[in-house]
Order: sequence, then structure tokens, then C-alpha cells
Amino acid sequence: MTEAVDANKKFQKELNSGTAALVLLSILDAAGKPMYGYQIAKLIETKRPDLPMMKQGAFYPVLRSLETSGLLESYVEPSVAGPPRRYYRITREGRETLAKWVEIWDLTKVFVDDFLKG
Amino acid sequence: MIRDIRTYLEELKVELKGMDIALVQDALSDAEEFLTTAVQDALENQPGRSDADVLGAIIDRYGAPAEVAAAYKEMESRFPRLRRPSRPLKREKWLSAYFGVMSDLKAWGAFLYMVLSLLTGSIYFGWVLMGGSISAMSLILIIGIPVASLFLLSIRGIALLEGGLVEALLGTRMPRKPLFVTPNLGWIDKIKALLADSVTWKSLLYMIVQLPLGYIYFFVSAGLLLFSLSFIASPVLELVFHKPLELWRGDAFTPVWALPVVSAAGFFLLALTLHLAKWVGKVHGRWAKYMLVRK
Repeated sequence: MTEAVDANKKFQKELNSGTAALVLLSILDAAGKPMYGYQIAKLIETKRPDLPMMKQGAFYPVLRSLETSGLLESYVEPSVAGPPRRYYRITREGRETLAKWVEIWDLTKVFVDDFLKG
Repeated sequence: MIRDIRTYLEELKVELKGMDIALVQDALSDAEEFLTTAVQDALENQPGRSDADVLGAIIDRYGAPAEVAAAYKEMESRFPRLRRPSRPLKREKWLSAYFGVMSDLKAWGAFLYMVLSLLTGSIYFGWVLMGGSISAMSLILIIGIPVASLFLLSIRGIALLEGGLVEALLGTRMPRKPLFVTPNLGWIDKIKALLADSVTWKSLLYMIVQLPLGYIYFFVSAGLLLFSLSFIASPVLELVFHKPLELWRGDAFTPVWALPVVSAAGFFLLALTLHLAKWVGKVHGRWAKYMLVRK
């Protein structure tokens, strides 16, 4: 039983590692304004409260790595109370990459669905 | 059961033990930003509850320290592939590898840092000397403690600026961390935190050491640049402007056949200077990170 649960978790984790970057890029592209981590997590939670795909803490390293690869840029702004916030926004390279990723995602979806439907 | 954000951050730090300092700082400030904002948000919506009441559910959504640490570790292990997708490793000829440094922005950045460090080093040292002596003199008076605290606070501010300079010119990541971890501290506690933080004292030492270092950096880099450029320009200087290269034999002119050799030696020396600057930049970046950034 636990082995099956572990396998499910592992499968979900592997899927997430690619889709999280795609989802975050598209959220920041659609937002049209810089957002900080909590805002993004909140948006995802409000939109799909029924689907806790991954822990909110796992979004942050993805944001960091998207920034390192130049798809996002960020700046820090002090907040009224509490620690400063890191705002992220999508770069031009990020937008171009997102367009390509969406194509890849669409193809993958069709490919997988084809087999699932038999 | 974690009852406050501080404990969470400490547990997260333990989980990330042995990882790169910059990664640990990223993870800690991300978690701090999220948890603090989430707690504030939750308390606004559910007045009358305490931090500890709402924190459990928030951590449940954010992930336990072990889970969050695992996410950062995983990202770090995939990081190199993400960062350099389009730079195939190819073996360069040693000559082009050697002279290629001239088009390396990082080397020029480090060179600029070395030249500037005479100025920054003198300013830092002057500030430490002036602020330090004013603080020391006023310590016998009642205003001593606030004056000394302001001085130490200014040291942290300068350390932040220097960190920005190091990051921009040397390319070393210098994560900016809020000075006071706990929000809403009183003044006395802020002073205590400032005094207890080793970075305050290390920054102070860094600024003192920066003066001799600045002198060495400046004279070595500017001197080598001057030699290289005059070697490179020697054919023009001697043949067009009739100015001898007064380096080794008083005012004697270099034989015409040797001028191209001297000029080539100039390019060689310029490349060597940039290699040296790049290496100094790397070492100094590590030193600055060790001294100016909280672990």
C-alpha cells in the first residue's frame, strides 16, 4: 500500500517539475504586472482550491531557477510590515520560451491522451 | 508542531545544512516572506486568533522544512543544465583561450573593480576611522550608545553597497538579507541584534583591510595596464611621435625590427593583466561573501 502511495507521489513530483515552470511563466505572463511569491501561491490556491498539486513552498525554487535562466527577472521591495518581498516579472525571453513551451505542452497532451483513450 | 516562524526557519536551515550559502539564504528569505505574509493575511481574516493558531495550516500548505529543503536541493541539482543550455564545451586553442580574455566582460569588470578599489577602500577606511573615533569619544557621554549604534548601522549599509558593487563587477552572488530577522523589534533589541551579529564586525574589518588591498589592486592593475598600453603603442610612439619607450635604457630608441615584438609583448601583457584581474576578482568575491554576507 505504502509502495503504491510512494509511486503515486513520485509520479506527481516528476510531472510537477516540468509543469510548475510552465504554470508560473503563464501566470506571470497573464498578470502583466510583477507579483511576489505569496501572491502567486494565493492566486493558484483561489483558482484551484480542489487541486493541491504541490506544496506552495516548492514554487519558490522554481521561480529562482526561472530567474537564473533569464526567463524571469526580479527585484526586492520593502514591505510595510515584515520582510521585504521579491517581485517577479516575465522577460522577453521568458515570453518567447513560454510560447514554445505551450506548443510542446499541447503536443504532449495530444500524444498522451491518444494512448489513454486507446 | 512548529509554533513560530523562527523555529520553522531554524529547522529549514538544519535541513539545508551543507548546501551553498546563497541557496540557503534564498530558501530562508523565501520562506520568511511567505510565512510572514500568510500569517498576516490569516490574522486579518480571522481576528482574535494567535500566530501559532494559524501557522499550522499555513505550513501544511507551504510544506514542512524537510519538503521545502528537498525542493531547493532538487532545483539546485538541475540548475547547471538550466543555466547553460546553449554553451557547448569545446576545446579552444590555447592561444585563443589566452587572448580570449580580452573580450571577457567578467575580466574587465574585475579590472574595473581593482581600479575603483583605491577610491572605495579609501572612503571605507576614512569612514571607519572617523565614525570609529567619534563613537569612541562619545562613548564616555550618554549619547555614546546611539552614536555608536548609528555608526555600526552605517557600516551595514556600506557593506550592502559594497556587496552590490562586488555582485555587479565580480559576479559573485551576494544575497541581500533583511538586517533584522524578527519584525517589530524595539530599539534596544535592534541594537543588541546589531552588536551580536558577527557580520557587523566582519564588515568593519573588511572595510579596514580594503584600504591596503585597494592600494595593491590599484597600483598593480593600473601599472600593468600602463606598461601593456605603452608596449602596444611603442611603434606609434617612437616612429610617429619620436618619443622613446624609456623603460630600460634611458632615452634610447628601440631598434625598428624589435618594435613589432615589443607591441606583441604588450598584447600578451594586457591579456595577462586581465587573467590576473579575473583571478583576483574570483578570490576577492569569495572573501567579500565570507565577510559581508550572513551565513
